[in-house]
Amino acid sequence: MLRIVIKKEFLTAVRDIRLQISGAVILVLMLTAVLVGKQGQKKIQQQRANAQAEMQEKWLSQGNKHPHSAAHFGQFAFKPKPVLSFLDIGLDNFTGISVFLEAHKQNEVLFSAAQDSNGMSRFGEMTAALVLQFLLPLLIIFLTFNIFSKEREEGTLKLIHAQGLSMRQLFFGKVLGTFLMVLFLFVPVIVLAYCLLDQDSAALDTHLTSKFLWMASSYASYFLILVLLCVLVSAFARSSGLSLLVLLGMWISSCVILPKAAANMADKLYPAPSQFDFRNNIKEQVKNGLDGHNPSDVRLNELKQKVLKEYGVETIEELPINWSGIAMQAGEEYTDQVYDAEFAKIEKIFTKQNNTTEWLGFINPYLAIRNLSMALAGTNFYHHTNFARAAESHRRKFVKTMNKDMEVNHKPAIAYSDYKVGEEMWSSTAEFEYDLPSTSSILSRQWRSITALGLWMLVLLALSTIYSNKIPTI
Amino acid sequence: MKLFLHITYFEWLSLWRSNTLKTLLLIVLGAGIYGIFFGKFEIDKQQQKIEQVKQHEIQQMDSLMAWVQLDTTSIQNKQKWKQAASPVGVGWNKHFTYFKTHQASDGAGLCLGQRDLYPVYYAFNVSDLARQVNTAELANPTKLLSGNFDLSYVYVFIFPLLLIALFYNLYAGEKEGGTLSILQAQSCSLWFLFLSKGIVRVLIVWGLAAILLTLGFWIQGISIANNLGLFSQWAVIISMYCLIWAAVMACIVWFRLHSALSAMIGLSVWLLCTLVLPAMLNLFVLANETLPNRTEMLHTYREMNGEIWGQPKSYVLKEFYADHPELNDGDTTNFHKWYYASFTLFDKKAVLLDVAFETQVMQRNALIDKWIWLAPAAMVQAQLSELSNTDRASHLQFMKEVRAYHAALKKLYYARIFSNKEFNLQDLQELEQKL
Repeated sequence: MLRIVIKKEFLTAVRDIRLQISGAVILVLMLTAVLVGKQGQKKIQQQRANAQAEMQEKWLSQGNKHPHSAAHFGQFAFKPKPVLSFLDIGLDNFTGISVFLEAHKQNEVLFSAAQDSNGMSRFGEMTAALVLQFLLPLLIIFLTFNIFSKEREEGTLKLIHAQGLSMRQLFFGKVLGTFLMVLFLFVPVIVLAYCLLDQDSAALDTHLTSKFLWMASSYASYFLILVLLCVLVSAFARSSGLSLLVLLGMWISSCVILPKAAANMADKLYPAPSQFDFRNNIKEQVKNGLDGHNPSDVRLNELKQKVLKEYGVETIEELPINWSGIAMQAGEEYTDQVYDAEFAKIEKIFTKQNNTTEWLGFINPYLAIRNLSMALAGTNFYHHTNFARAAESHRRKFVKTMNKDMEVNHKPAIAYSDYKVGEEMWSSTAEFEYDLPSTSSILSRQWRSITALGLWMLVLLALSTIYSNKIPTI
Repeated sequence: MKLFLHITYFEWLSLWRSNTLKTLLLIVLGAGIYGIFFGKFEIDKQQQKIEQVKQHEIQQMDSLMAWVQLDTTSIQNKQKWKQAASPVGVGWNKHFTYFKTHQASDGAGLCLGQRDLYPVYYAFNVSDLARQVNTAELANPTKLLSGNFDLSYVYVFIFPLLLIALFYNLYAGEKEGGTLSILQAQSCSLWFLFLSKGIVRVLIVWGLAAILLTLGFWIQGISIANNLGLFSQWAVIISMYCLIWAAVMACIVWFRLHSALSAMIGLSVWLLCTLVLPAMLNLFVLANETLPNRTEMLHTYREMNGEIWGQPKSYVLKEFYADHPELNDGDTTNFHKWYYASFTLFDKKAVLLDVAFETQVMQRNALIDKWIWLAPAAMVQAQLSELSNTDRASHLQFMKEVRAYHAALKKLYYARIFSNKEFNLQDLQELEQKL
């Protein structure tokens, strides 16, 4: 009996010309988004990989020079374009893409695509995520807003009920039939997207398949949640018109208005300091010490006494090693501490802001799927900071290598301009490599969104089971 | 005419007596007021940053002006005096850090545009500018992505929804409510009747738009009297935009479809214009026309740096003197002259690079502009942000001002550096005038 209902709902939907058209439009949009998006991702990733290789080549072929000059010459780190970003572009156009790594200071990750684009970039890029999060829900609304109310208005609901079919069976039949219709649109796109993942993609991200599967199943559950919600509304709405009005109102407020308002609100709740204060704090702390009572000249003097004692000599000139190398590395490490502390503060503020929208997932499933999808696609804030951290740790490593060489091999008697090292030294530092975060580390940070989706599902299933037998037939 | 007034009057009465209209208007009004306050909040925040750096700058300059008058017999005073009077600075520290701020123009709070993507000020000294302007304001990318809920957003995205809600059952409502046959029995034509009904609705929307615009100017403290041009341009753009949407809805109503279907079609058109078409355009242009790799610029800087430091001083100075004969005193060995000359050469090359990159970016953006008519919402948004000076072009204009300011400051410094002179109080006063 249930199967007949499912079949009936599915066939009604498939045969409806309006749904044929909108379904076809959505399918075409998604297929274009996936195909063109993948091509774009490949192109951009290629550009960045080439740039990275080119800059590495420049580092190796920089000629003979003092290691500290080389540390100033510096290296670059390019953020790889995450493979799944073609499914969900997320923050990718609004975060920087490369960072210059040099001695003494941490530079910002710069050159976001949005800065180089006109206002259009605010309208977003057509990706599968945009269709799945925005448009497909609308199709679900159109499929279901009168799924009960129409039958009630036409009087067929009573007839069906009289056939011996319980309202609960009818309810879940309609839910499954609609869900099947949605999957009918969703699955081909997902399969196509999976087929587009080539060897290059797999090399870039070793957790690709699991991220992909998580993404696909998250979307599937998002759709089921929406179908349940819409059918419930239709089942209890007084008329089809009212049901449509309620559902569209919900769609507009949760997909259009709330996300924007939430981000703006979070910014007010947890205000970030200005760049000016941020830089000043860092400068101040480097100069006067983290606690404000440990000025740089005192620190340097303490270090000097310690080193002199270690080697049992009286003056710097007597040291068998290069004092500048030690002093520079110590300065570097102290500055790193200051930067780490200050960056951690900013990151905490931004994470708090972002968590606000994650918590809102409990009242707005759109926000839950948006955050989860962005995370799995590798285009959320966590991925950005993760890259920045990897680049910074690479900077510390190669600067340390340079300082160490200076400390050990640049004997005090040799002038700065006379001590030079070459390619052998440059190639001894490892090339910058960045692995995208693993699936488990992403999921563990997205527990709010996952729980929100789970909770929505459970609550709606419970409500449906309890109340579906009470659906009015007339 | 009398009939028209009669119909419109009663249509207004019946609309006003229904709670739906009041609720809708209240929601949009609420959204609009929120947008106005939000825009004000954002602009105030930027203004605070601007004032903070300006104050800091003035304080610093005041100290220098005090220090330059110090009695230099004590060592402590001598150090301070040197910091104030030496145009080349002390050690690796430069003489002074200047701030050029990007003041928001009137109306920026109504349409924040792209302003949040760029720094509202640059801090620089008279060394090369190129390496001092690669900065970004601290911003949460999630917020940048979500964009700003300002008044322009309410107009561009939410007003069309209001029009759809007011129009979708213009015909179907009468039919489904059973009143259509009564209307058909009237002496005036149905066409005239629905036209009048449509006009009432457009007038209501225009009225709300005008109220919000006035509120926007008033709450944000922009004088309408002084900005009559701005006000009327906004008014014209918005009323035209609303009219276009009303026309679209009229076309849909023309087909005399079921009310639910009309609503769906209206919403689909809205989606197409505000979401699908702009996003498609972005997919083909943003995602597939790769941007120039600006990192190359940074790389070129460091190559130039190596070149400048690796060559004898005369190499740099000769080239510099060729461009600046007025500063040429034949000295090709002085460290400071060489050092500061190198900055100028640096900027000279950097500007060429910047122009090359900018041309590439412009070409790509021109591709979007060529197709933007496909997305009227984006077009209106672009126009409003142009009016409010919050678009990318306005930032580029600001960059130009920064360059000019930097060049003007340099003139004073270089004249002193290349004649081995120090700053006196008058010089500093002159610099203060420029702040």
